[in-house]
Amino acid sequence: MPSLLEDLQNNPLAQATLVLSALPLLALLAWAIWQPKLFLLALKNLRRNSLRTALTCLATLVLVLMATLILTVVVTLDRFTTEKARDFKLVVTERWQLPSQMPLTHAHYLDPSSPSFMLDRSEIGPNDFMTWSFYGGTLDPGKMTRENIVFFFVMNPKHIIPMMDDMQDLDPALIAKLEKNRQGCLLGRERLEAINKRVGERIKVTSMNYKGIDLELEIVGELPRGRYNTTGIMNESYFNQELERYARTKGKHPLDSKRLNLVWLRVRDRATFEKVAQQIETASVFADRPVKCETASSGIATWLEPFQSLLWGMKWVLVPAILASMALVVANAIAISVRERRAEMAVMKVLGYRPRQILCLVLGESLLVGGGSGFLAAFLAWFTINAVGGLPFPMLWFQYFMIPTQALFWGLAMGFVTAFLGSALPAWTARSVKVSEVFAKVA
Amino acid sequence: MQIIIFLLMALGFVLGIVVLVALAFSLAALAHALLPVAKVPFRYTLRNLQVRWKTTLVTAVAFTVVVGLLTFMLAFVNGMNQLTEGSGQPGNVVILSDGATDEAFSNLPGGISVPMFPKDVQTMVRRDGDKFWAVKEVYVIVNQEIANAGEGQRKRRFVQMRGIDDPELAARIHAIELAEGKWFSGRRHEVVLGDGVARTFGKDLGKDHAQPGDRIKIGPRDWEVVGIMKPSASAFGSEVWAQDTQVGKSFGRDNSYSSYVVRVKDPKLAADAAALIKKERSSQAFAAMTELEYYAKLAQTSQQFLYAIILVAIVMAVGGILGVMNTMFAAISNRTKDIGVLRILGYSRWQILMSFLLESLLIGLLGGLLGCALGYLTDGISTSSVVSSGQGGGKSVVLNLVVDTTILAAGMGVAWIMGAVGGLFPSLSAMRLKPLESLR
Repeated sequence: MPSLLEDLQNNPLAQATLVLSALPLLALLAWAIWQPKLFLLALKNLRRNSLRTALTCLATLVLVLMATLILTVVVTLDRFTTEKARDFKLVVTERWQLPSQMPLTHAHYLDPSSPSFMLDRSEIGPNDFMTWSFYGGTLDPGKMTRENIVFFFVMNPKHIIPMMDDMQDLDPALIAKLEKNRQGCLLGRERLEAINKRVGERIKVTSMNYKGIDLELEIVGELPRGRYNTTGIMNESYFNQELERYARTKGKHPLDSKRLNLVWLRVRDRATFEKVAQQIETASVFADRPVKCETASSGIATWLEPFQSLLWGMKWVLVPAILASMALVVANAIAISVRERRAEMAVMKVLGYRPRQILCLVLGESLLVGGGSGFLAAFLAWFTINAVGGLPFPMLWFQYFMIPTQALFWGLAMGFVTAFLGSALPAWTARSVKVSEVFAKVA
Repeated sequence: MQIIIFLLMALGFVLGIVVLVALAFSLAALAHALLPVAKVPFRYTLRNLQVRWKTTLVTAVAFTVVVGLLTFMLAFVNGMNQLTEGSGQPGNVVILSDGATDEAFSNLPGGISVPMFPKDVQTMVRRDGDKFWAVKEVYVIVNQEIANAGEGQRKRRFVQMRGIDDPELAARIHAIELAEGKWFSGRRHEVVLGDGVARTFGKDLGKDHAQPGDRIKIGPRDWEVVGIMKPSASAFGSEVWAQDTQVGKSFGRDNSYSSYVVRVKDPKLAADAAALIKKERSSQAFAAMTELEYYAKLAQTSQQFLYAIILVAIVMAVGGILGVMNTMFAAISNRTKDIGVLRILGYSRWQILMSFLLESLLIGLLGGLLGCALGYLTDGISTSSVVSSGQGGGKSVVLNLVVDTTILAAGMGVAWIMGAVGGLFPSLSAMRLKPLESLR
């Protein structure tokens, strides 16, 4: 997950919500300093009908909470489909088909530590390469259920920390264990709970995709919480050894020459990507099993394409509808409040308060309610959801979504904007109260 | 984590009780309004809504947004459900390689045929003369570059291609009909497009949908479109069909199939046939299931969306309920004297409660009706999604949103619940007002 500073530098939503939350906050602060009496009056007014204030706050709170959760999913997926300026990764896959299945020899030409390496070593270093094979199986072949299925990234352990996203903080001791114990594996917390196993225990996996390649693994550690909650990682040397054993006893496995699923390479920038991609896609060594190169973000975007309508709906229908609901609730509450206090506002005018001060009073009350409850909602979402390991919303390989710190700005901004929109008309009505009309009615 | 789950369950339990009580009261209010018993005149309730029409309207619009959105979201799930239900034929059995749960991961030998199965199964399979109703299918997902993709637009999409050994028999087995053109001959690189994917390719070609005679690029070569399937609520509408040998050659699946679909004589025998095929382990093991079962498993994604929609609907409904509470509390506070007068005139506490609850229900129903009307506008809108069993694989599909009476009833039901819960507490507070104190 990117830091708040990174988000503020790169993410337009974070920048926009920072502005939308900072401006009203500064305005409220300035108002409190220049007109402390009016500010205190606004606070007193909110306390005066505490039930209405509480109901409006609660409505804003639940709606901002929901909007924050939806935006978290949308923004996280956006982040993965947006090209990064640095840490630019290139994915090599089979040119036409899904799932991508390539011969292992393809990796030799792309591995900087291999003598057959075909690229420029000054552009791709030893820590800029990673291969993935996918191995899925069940712990109970007689009764396969979602609970007893395990899925592994089969890879070289030394590539985990430098190449895999969100693995930079993984304990190096776990890597050492995985390198030392060829039958070792790392599993995500949720998968461990689902199969009811702990670190140190052994599992026997009957393969679903590599028929006849059943593996005995020892769980040597747990993967970091979040996106790896439901998956596992195992050492490629054990997997390859078992495929070779199978070849010796039963002949080549049907997937023997299709065991390599993805190759990852890190390149400096877009220009290097274009150059390396062209070199790979036109290389004669890949002519019989053609490959294609994509950026990681472009690859993920292709996978997410069938969900585009859904994500569009979440972003442009659901969130605006929630905000409209909030604005209506606030508008209703403030309009009722203004109607009930028409006489009071007329008296204020008689006492010398200017129309704009009355306008500010109503707007201020609304902004205090909206901003306060919006921030509280976003804080609650950020604190509690992240504390329990993320928002569960399985979509492709994304299982959990962590609430980004920029969500605190979303909450403030949503609260302020809807409060402003909802109270603009009632505040204008309050500003325009005619003293003579109000007192004529009272009389 | 456990504490949070416990708190959420406790909150859910309390909310559930509140909803049940509110529903009971609202039904009583409805009965009270309809029965010929002494009550606060209905005209009084209507008049009050009319007098403060702005507040009534704003509250009703908030309900409209919630119900409209709920209808729209449920129409999406309904469209997905209809698609997965419509894809399976009751008498079909899908055979995959042993251990596979999805076509994408299944590898069947090229020589697969009905005589490989137990004798009992062979007698169950429907046949025309010597020909069994059985079709070999090779299913590939092609990662395709998009023709004419502009700058900043996505460059690739997944195209689902199904190679069929006998297209006319496959069409009968899967209940597919052609809207235009003919089935491929197998002699040239020809394809038949599902109606959904025909729209997708049509956009690339700058028209509404692709037509027979058009040429499209899939994988390493160009294919000629020779037919378009009739629109049907099925996953096949998102697929490209071609001759099995040509698909196999183009995508490295020579003499290997993904699935073998057989039609049994009596749909009631489909489950038995699947069980017998699965049980047979003599020469080669297979995974088998009825086609209905296969596509029902793909409804896992729509279930997940349904849960998410229920959560969103509950949260939005809570927002709406709090809004109507504000309205009703304000109405009561404005009409404290009215309530006092009504009590002095002899109306009981119960009648006051019913009158105010009815007012809230009317706002809810007004918003609900508008919301359902708004949601109904989304009926038939075409969109895309993924259906999957959640165990890997899955299919990208083009589907239509479907608003039916069940969804409209659900929308009105939610509006009713919102009106009932939102009106209950203010109505109880109105009921508890003492006549003399309220007149003071």
